Amino acid sequence: MRPENYEARKHPPSNEFELNFGPNHPGIEGNYAFKVKLNGDEVLEAKADAGYLHRGFEKLMEGRLWIQNIALVPRICVPDPVPMEVCYSLAIEEIAGLEVPERAQWIRVMQLEMSRLAAHLFAFGGHAATCGMYTTMFWGVADRDLILDRFEELTGGRVYSIYNIPGGVRRDVPTGFLERLGSLLDYLESRLPDYDNLFFTNQIFIRRARDVGVMSQEQALKWGVTGPNLRATGLAFDVRRDDPYLVYDQIDFDIPTEPGGDCLSRNLVRRSELLQSIRILRQVIERLPSIKGPIRCPIPNPLAWNVPVGESYPRVESSKGELAYYVVSNGGDKPYRVHVRGPSSMHAVQVLEKLAVGSRLEDIAQIMFSLDACPPEVDR
Amino acid sequence: MSKNKTLTKKDQMQQDKAQDGQQMLVDFTRPRTNPMANVFDGLVRFCQSRSMFMLHYCTGCGAIELPPAMTSRFDMERLGIQPMVTPRQADILLITGYVSVKTLKRIILTYEQMAAPKYVIGICSCTVNGGMYWQSYATAKVLREYLPVDIYIAGCMPRPEAIIEGLQVLMDDIKTGRAENWKRYFQNYDYYLGNQQKLFGDHWQTPTDIISEARHYDLITENTLGKHTALLEKHQAPLQALEMTLQQNRERV
Ligand code: SF4
Repeated sequence: MRPENYEARKHPPSNEFELNFGPNHPGIEGNYAFKVKLNGDEVLEAKADAGYLHRGFEKLMEGRLWIQNIALVPRICVPDPVPMEVCYSLAIEEIAGLEVPERAQWIRVMQLEMSRLAAHLFAFGGHAATCGMYTTMFWGVADRDLILDRFEELTGGRVYSIYNIPGGVRRDVPTGFLERLGSLLDYLESRLPDYDNLFFTNQIFIRRARDVGVMSQEQALKWGVTGPNLRATGLAFDVRRDDPYLVYDQIDFDIPTEPGGDCLSRNLVRRSELLQSIRILRQVIERLPSIKGPIRCPIPNPLAWNVPVGESYPRVESSKGELAYYVVSNGGDKPYRVHVRGPSSMHAVQVLEKLAVGSRLEDIAQIMFSLDACPPEVDR
Repeated sequence: MSKNKTLTKKDQMQQDKAQDGQQMLVDFTRPRTNPMANVFDGLVRFCQSRSMFMLHYCTGCGAIELPPAMTSRFDMERLGIQPMVTPRQADILLITGYVSVKTLKRIILTYEQMAAPKYVIGICSCTVNGGMYWQSYATAKVLREYLPVDIYIAGCMPRPEAIIEGLQVLMDDIKTGRAENWKRYFQNYDYYLGNQQKLFGDHWQTPTDIISEARHYDLITENTLGKHTALLEKHQAPLQALEMTLQQNRERV
C-alpha cells in the first residue's frame, strides 16, 4: 500500500552523476566553480558558476571621481593589471581631448609589454601545474617575480602600480632602469631553452595537451574569442597591429599563430609571444632615451575635474585578449557609465562550457588554464 | 599603498572589546594540575606550530601574492607551511582579500568542516574593514564579525614578506598557546550566527552541528546559546535526513 500522495522519485541514470568542481579546488584558476555532469570521467555537460568575486565594479565606478577610479580599475584583472589602467586612461583622454606626450606613450608600451611577459609566465606556469609539472610553475613564478621587481622600481608597487593617469604617467623612468631592464630581458631569453626542455617539448605535456579542448576558427570567431586563444586557431588578429594604439605602429613585431586550436597550440602561442614582447621591449629601450619631453600633459585639478560630455570605446590587447572600456561622461566629475568588455568573460563562461563537453574530468583544469581565464574579470 | 602592518591577536582583542560590547571574552587558560601535562602541552604546541597545512582557497585578489610566497623565491615551506586541498586536513584558513557574500557562505562552510585547532588569517585590508570596496553592495566588510580571526595582515596587497611575517607571528602564538581563537567560535557562537543570519537570512543553516560540537569540546558558555541559536533551532531541519532538509529548503524558497 502506498500513500495517496506518493510520487516515485525520478532518478537520473545510475552511470551519470553531478559533481561540483570548485570553488575550493586547486585545479580552478581563482575563485570560480563548475557544475559538471559526468558519465564515468567523461564530461556530458558543464555549467559555469561564477559570481564568487563579484564586487559591482561598474556601479562602484559611478560613485567615485574620475581620478579615484584609476586605483580601482587594476583590481579587475589581477594577473595582468596594467592594460586596465592604460585602457581607462585612453578612454578619458579621448573624451577630454588630451594629447599624451610621446615619451609617456613609450613608457606605457614598456609597461604593457612587461605586464604581458609576467602574465604569460604565470599562465603557462599554472598550466604546467595542472599537468603535474610543478617545477615549471616554480620557475615561472620566480621569473615573474624579477619582472615585478622592475615594476616596483618603476612604479612603487609590485602588482598594482596605479602609475598611468589620464594625460600620461606619474613619474619618469629612474636612472639606470633601462639597463637593468635590458639585462633582465637577456636573462629571460636565456631561460627560454630551459623552459622548452622542461615544458614545451616535454612529452608529458604534449601528450596531455594535444587535441584537448579543440576549437575551430569559425567557432572561435562566433564565440567572441580574442587574444592568444584566437591566434592559436590560426587567425593572425592582434589589436596592437590591426587597430594600433599608443606607438605600436612605430614598432616592429610579428604576430605568432598556431594552427591547432587546442591546449598545446594556445601554450605555444604564448611562448612565441614572450619572444615578441622581449623584442618590443628591446626597441623601447633603444628608442626611449632619444625621446625627450614631458611625461604627462597638464590636466585640470583632478579633484574637481568635469570631463566634457562624450563617450568613447578604446580597446587594447591585454595578455588574455581584447580588452575595451566603454566610458560615458555627462559632464560631471564622475563617470556616468563605465562598461568593461573583458576577454575572460567570454573565455571562462561560454567557451569553457562548450570545450569541456566531451573531454575528461581531469582535463577541465587544463582547458581553463590554457584559455588563461581570469575569474575576477569575469565577475567584476 | 604598500604599507604593511601585522596586527597581533592582542591588538585585535582590544579592538574587539572596544567595538562589540556584547561579545564577552572568555579566559581560555584552564590550569592543569599535573605539572607533566604542561611540558607535554608545550611539546605538542611546538610540533603544531612547525607543521601547518594551509587551505588552498583563493578568495580575492590578495591571492596573487601567495604563489611567490609559496614558491622558490620566498619559500613558505621553510617554515613547515604547505598548501593542502581538503579542509578536513588543513589547519590554516587564509582569507586572501575581499569576500563577497556568496564566497562568505562557502568560507563558513569550509571553516566549520576543518578540524580543531584551526586558525584564520585575514590577508589584505579588505578583510579588516572593507578596503577599496567599502561601499560595494556585494561584499561582506568586516571578516571578524563572521569568523574568529587570529591574525590580520593589512596592506593592499601585502607583500610576500609581510605574509611570511604574519605566519611567523601565528607560529609564535601557537607555540605560546595564545592562538586559541577557534574556541571563541564555540564560546560565542550566538554572536557569529547572529551576524551570519543578518547577512544570509533567518533560514541560514550549515550541515555542521556547532552546538553539539561545543558540548563535545566542553566549550559551552552563556554566549554559545542565545536568541539566534533559538532561531536556528526553530528553522533547523533535522540533520539526520539530509535529503528531507534539502526538500524543505526548496519549498521555503
Ligand atoms: S586589500 Fe587590495 S589587494 Fe587585497 S583584496 Fe582588497 S583590493 Fe585586493
